[in-house]
Amino acid sequence: MPASQNKPGTLGFAAYMPVGVSFLLAMIMLLPLGSSVAGYAMPHLVLISCFYWLSNRPMLMPYGACFLLGLFLDLWVGVPLGVNIVTLLLTRLFVLNQLKHYRGRNRGVHWMVFTVMAFALFALSWLIMSIIAGSVLSLNTVFFQWLVTSFLYAPVAFILGRLRRLML
Amino acid sequence: MQTTGQTTRLRRAGRGRDAFWLYLALALALLALETFGPGVPRQIRGYANDAVAPVLSVLAEPIRLAQSGMERVAGVSDIYLENQTLRDENGKLRQWREAAQRLIQENEQLRQILKVPQREISPVATAHVIGVGGGAFERSVLINAGSSDSVAANLPVVDELGLVGRTIEVGYWTTRILLITDLNSRVPVRLERTGDVAIAVGLNEPFMHLRFLAANSGVQIGDRIITSGHGGLFPPDVPVGQITEINDEVLLVRPLSALDALDFVRVMDYRPLPPEVTQPTSDGQPVGQPQ
Repeated sequence: MPASQNKPGTLGFAAYMPVGVSFLLAMIMLLPLGSSVAGYAMPHLVLISCFYWLSNRPMLMPYGACFLLGLFLDLWVGVPLGVNIVTLLLTRLFVLNQLKHYRGRNRGVHWMVFTVMAFALFALSWLIMSIIAGSVLSLNTVFFQWLVTSFLYAPVAFILGRLRRLML
Repeated sequence: MQTTGQTTRLRRAGRGRDAFWLYLALALALLALETFGPGVPRQIRGYANDAVAPVLSVLAEPIRLAQSGMERVAGVSDIYLENQTLRDENGKLRQWREAAQRLIQENEQLRQILKVPQREISPVATAHVIGVGGGAFERSVLINAGSSDSVAANLPVVDELGLVGRTIEVGYWTTRILLITDLNSRVPVRLERTGDVAIAVGLNEPFMHLRFLAANSGVQIGDRIITSGHGGLFPPDVPVGQITEINDEVLLVRPLSALDALDFVRVMDYRPLPPEVTQPTSDGQPVGQPQ
């Protein structure tokens, strides 16, 4: 991958595509899918999107974008401000530090890395929410959302990959 | 040349680390505000919801079309059976309607005789559910009615089957509703059959717990739970749920409202008097008010 591909300045408007797509996925996460479990059966699409773009075009998803995405997601989803911000900032930190170990590997490895990272991040957000609520929250819903998110990483990443090839 | 490249990379990495710590500090400050302070004003959240409402309305349309299309396809196969069931139900409902009309008339006459005030509560707005929120941690929905439709905070919300929740964040065009199954939801209720009062507590699960019910209440599986009206947030006698399980001291309640498929909901215009305003005394001064 040439270094110039990573620089936002050389891509023009397309450089904002990863952040724009992530915002769109944040909105899709709010859609009512006709189920009371929709809230936690809905995969964390923004987490998938951030991980994907950070693994492929890290310069196009800076810390500022992760912060803004987390901020709006917290506001829209209705959870305490900071929960998704911390999650997305740590995603970027993790990917930038670990990318050298899995860059260029097959999709299965990416999927496995995402699953492990998502588990740690979901556990952290459960801990933060439990502290804020002042009681131990149920693990069932968090575990279920982690399962759905991990399972759906591959198809969502596939679509994002097609989009990347088309525009970047 | 190589040294210059390495220096640039190091400088970039340093800047990246600085940015990380700066944004993390901001995030932790926001979290601390939510935990120990007043948190973000609900008005800001309300306006943030307003910003996303038009996009959600557009995105939800194809989903709604697909869902109704699938329901139609699924419905065609058993349309004959459904028709027969509906005919039977229609006959029964006619009988119930006559009985209900007689009771309404009788009730009205008794109210007039006893000078009991009307308990009918008109809706402020009937709105469409355009978003689901909360993720794995909270249970809330977003509706397309806000302060422009006279919706205010802490108004009860119902569907055609029972209590849905209450309004919490009111924007100009949108309102977030805290569902009765949310962890932070507490609804004062009573058993319809015996009148014993209790509190229905949300668990972030599809069902609720019934707490503080008298030990000798004789609660049974299938008993209906209705709002008691205590606390002044919810009007009395709104159906809430049904007892589905009794395990030692744990009573599980299944909500009657269709929380699993909310489409249209009604925001009720129930604004009880504030506690400091009470009956006027003989000299015309309200009790509890400074004279």
